[in-house]
Amino acid sequence: MKTLAVVVTTPPYSHLTISALTYVEAALVAGINVIGVFFYQDGAMHANKDISIASDEYQAIEHWQRLNKEYQLPLHICITAAEKRGIACDSIDNDQVNEAFTVSGLGELVELTTKAARLVQF
Amino acid sequence: MTSSYTQEKNDLPPSNGLAIINSKAPFSSNHGKDALDVALIFGSFEQKVSLFFQGDGVYQLIANQDARLVSIKDYLKTFSAFEFYDIEDIYVCQQSLVNRQLEEKFHIGDVQVLSSIEFGLALNRHQHVLRF
Amino acid sequence: MSTLHLVRQSAFATNDFAQCLSVLDHQDSIVLMDDGCYNLKHSLMDSLIKRVDGTLSINVITRHAQARAIEISAAVQHIEMSDVVELTFNHTKVITWQ
Repeated sequence: MKTLAVVVTTPPYSHLTISALTYVEAALVAGINVIGVFFYQDGAMHANKDISIASDEYQAIEHWQRLNKEYQLPLHICITAAEKRGIACDSIDNDQVNEAFTVSGLGELVELTTKAARLVQF
Repeated sequence: MTSSYTQEKNDLPPSNGLAIINSKAPFSSNHGKDALDVALIFGSFEQKVSLFFQGDGVYQLIANQDARLVSIKDYLKTFSAFEFYDIEDIYVCQQSLVNRQLEEKFHIGDVQVLSSIEFGLALNRHQHVLRF
Repeated sequence: MSTLHLVRQSAFATNDFAQCLSVLDHQDSIVLMDDGCYNLKHSLMDSLIKRVDGTLSINVITRHAQARAIEISAAVQHIEMSDVVELTFNHTKVITWQ
């Protein structure tokens, strides 16, 4: 069983994130079981609902949302990394957190790596 | 290209656990602390994790540093708890030390100084790698 | 036992590529992507290309090189991101150098 876990450490406005998205989508299209994407360090900024990227630029967050919807791709945000970057995760409704993303902890990263045949970092 | 799942064909003992490569100096970026947080969580979940220090990452191990002098929380002191978390294997790239004219004087014990080839071989004994 | 190395930074700017090369094994593969494409013109590539002996392979994501107007030499494979996915499972693990 080809299972893959991905770690993203770059923010949504970084060009480096485009490669991460292209890779993950290629894996999904190829039928790889991408068991989850873990957003760590600056990657946690993806969870911020209030991020606004100029409409003529690459919309990373929209692409992740699309993959989450089309493939039920789990998107995990590291809570500590998010809070450090100004994304309040403690309210029950998670008002500031984009719905496509699940607020998780580093424990989720342990889960993903133990279950995945391959771990790829971006 | 035909795809193959080479791990199944591998005669060698299966590689095991997570290798974390530290490549940044301790204070001017958060990478050292972020890497440490990952290491400790794996240790606390009783998952095998080994630490590798290469390039400027070797600076994280050097003795007599004091983060408090620059108002940084001294996360390097937590390295002395590695044993408590069952983090047993700590590897340093010898060439990286040599390039920086560093002596093998570390603030923790049981550090294995490896040649580049041995460093690569040790990495190969792990199933997954993260680099910070 | 073989490792896929994703090289995303230019050796003219950082040490990542040099560190990658120091742990490279003969059955490994390299993918130059993002600014890693600039390494095609770096002196480190010359000794690396000499090591390409049928087991070690060097790949470049064509689009990434073309976007940067970088010529791709004959000693490297031109690939797409879908090939990177395949390479992921053709090797026992992946290390990203960024």
